[in-house]
Amino acid sequence: MKFRFHVAALTAALLTASTVFAQTPPAEEPFWAKGRPKNPTADKMAPVPSFPIPTAADQLPIAKMKLPPGFKAEVFVSNILDARSMREGDKGTIFVSSLFAAGKLYAVVNNGGQREVKTLAEKLFLPSGIEYHKGNLYLATPKDIVRYDNIEAHLDKLPEPVMVYDKLPGDVPHGWKFIKVGPDNKLYVPVGAPCNICESDDRYTKIFRMNLDGSGVEVVASGVRNTVGFDFQPKTGYLWFTDNQRDWLSEDLPEDELNVVTQPGKQNFGYPYCHSGDFADPELGWGKNCSDYVKPAAKLGAHSAPLGMRFYSGKMFPAKYQGAIFIARHGPWNRTQKNAADVVVAFPDGKGGISRVEPFLTGLVENNQFIGRPADVMVMKDGSLLVSDDHNGAIYRITYAGK
Amino acid sequence: MRLWWKATLWQWTTLLSVIAMAPGAWAQGPAPRPQAAKPVVAGKATPSPAASKPVIDYSERYAANCAACHGSEGRSELPLVPSLAGQHSFYVITQLFLFRDGRRNDHPASAAMSALAKSMSDSDLRGYSEAVARLPASALTAAPAEPAPPPLDAARFERGRQLAAAHRCGSCHGADLVGGGQVPRLGGQREDYLQIALKGFQSGTRLGYTPAMNEALSGLKAEDLDDLAHYLAGSLRESR
Repeated sequence: MKFRFHVAALTAALLTASTVFAQTPPAEEPFWAKGRPKNPTADKMAPVPSFPIPTAADQLPIAKMKLPPGFKAEVFVSNILDARSMREGDKGTIFVSSLFAAGKLYAVVNNGGQREVKTLAEKLFLPSGIEYHKGNLYLATPKDIVRYDNIEAHLDKLPEPVMVYDKLPGDVPHGWKFIKVGPDNKLYVPVGAPCNICESDDRYTKIFRMNLDGSGVEVVASGVRNTVGFDFQPKTGYLWFTDNQRDWLSEDLPEDELNVVTQPGKQNFGYPYCHSGDFADPELGWGKNCSDYVKPAAKLGAHSAPLGMRFYSGKMFPAKYQGAIFIARHGPWNRTQKNAADVVVAFPDGKGGISRVEPFLTGLVENNQFIGRPADVMVMKDGSLLVSDDHNGAIYRITYAGK
Repeated sequence: MRLWWKATLWQWTTLLSVIAMAPGAWAQGPAPRPQAAKPVVAGKATPSPAASKPVIDYSERYAANCAACHGSEGRSELPLVPSLAGQHSFYVITQLFLFRDGRRNDHPASAAMSALAKSMSDSDLRGYSEAVARLPASALTAAPAEPAPPPLDAARFERGRQLAAAHRCGSCHGADLVGGGQVPRLGGQREDYLQIALKGFQSGTRLGYTPAMNEALSGLKAEDLDDLAHYLAGSLRESR
């Protein structure tokens, strides 16, 4: 009797499901539009891909940039479409990734005193995640991670990539990557939420780490919506990461986060239940309590889109910047008043928190439009700071000349 | 439905000969109009070297190099060739970029468009896309040339309207189907172009930056796509 009841229930469920399927084809909004309020202003907002043409070197917004006294910005390289994440090789090559518009891996090389952009690989699937480690370059797409061995010896023709890990979910929404090798010699790889706001299975909303051969995958942090920037604190070895919070809740909420992992594998940072450490999600958060999740070390502004970040340990900048975190904020697509699109500095307070966040590079919002959008920052060996700008297809170099 | 190809063979021949006759016409390089051809402003001093850099009028370039197929006001009379009036510069420049990069292989004229785009500089791409964006959308509703477009089929139009609602075309293209930014205007576009675009997206021969369009059309049948195209093409006439 019990068995029969189950069969009947299952049959009914299947029939219902198939009828629904036949009548209404699966029609879903694009992932980023889910949760959008019925509002004519919100209705006109959508994520903006980077402009498909790089800005000419003499048109770049260098003169409009504002920096603290003593700092100077210059064009490091122009005409590098969709420039995103940056890494420096042992021989001084700057490796640059890209995303939707370009799908390329670049190298910026010094060719007889002239900087030259070489395209190393193209037609790649959202290849934003790169890391240089002990001579090899790791490249992560939403689907997999490959390695190019001894890459600086093969800039004219890359060697065949070695597959490191091919079991990433592969989703487009928040599937593109930022990757980094930690002080534990493991590769850190995030998998973001496959949506704006939703519950998802164990493959998502986490930062994982794995051995450099792709084995031994383990969870480092949970409840992470979309991190595309992290770094390891030189003194403590702690992983700090930026996290982009949900869209459409309000123009002013929730604030994006800067987080720190002090107990790898044991901490949950709240998504999709608690935002900015402050409040439960209006739909999914019922029955959840923000005190059950780790609060951010700093809040970085609503929809400000903090992407790449680095601790500063170079020798060029004034002493106050030692151990501080430079953060590239891409600027909001779903805020009416454009802001951010800058580089800010977060100063750790030495007790696991952040004492203050200061503007560093600003001036890239004009007439409520972005005239530049920082995507990543990288401290060069000489202590200067590179800032990539995917909107203009350029990389800037910030130096300090004193007083 | 298959007859368009034969019936318009002469038009394609025209297109190809236009392309063949004007190699390099699309390149930015040597083509600036002679200064003498412009009306001389009385009393104006000899231009300084800095001011003598020729300014390229991309609306003129459009008239010379694009209008034969896309229409002088941006309303295409050629089968399968999209109208460009009312289109957004970000969308246009993205398509030109994809053609130039060899990433649009979904249309009978893809190779020709790619060849044109490959001869364009970055400033050409900007100039042409801005010139296109200056073509008023009102051209789409202007009195049609001969032959008059076939009348709307009310039943198919309604089916297409329901499909557009169910598949949330308006999420990105706007409830009024005028698009914006990188998202194209759909209302009033040529029906045969919309058919080929929708089929290309569904089969995966046409790719954008993301699979968004490919995913949006999954599960639709061929006749659904045709009805959808019928509705989108006719929606501007309807709303007039």
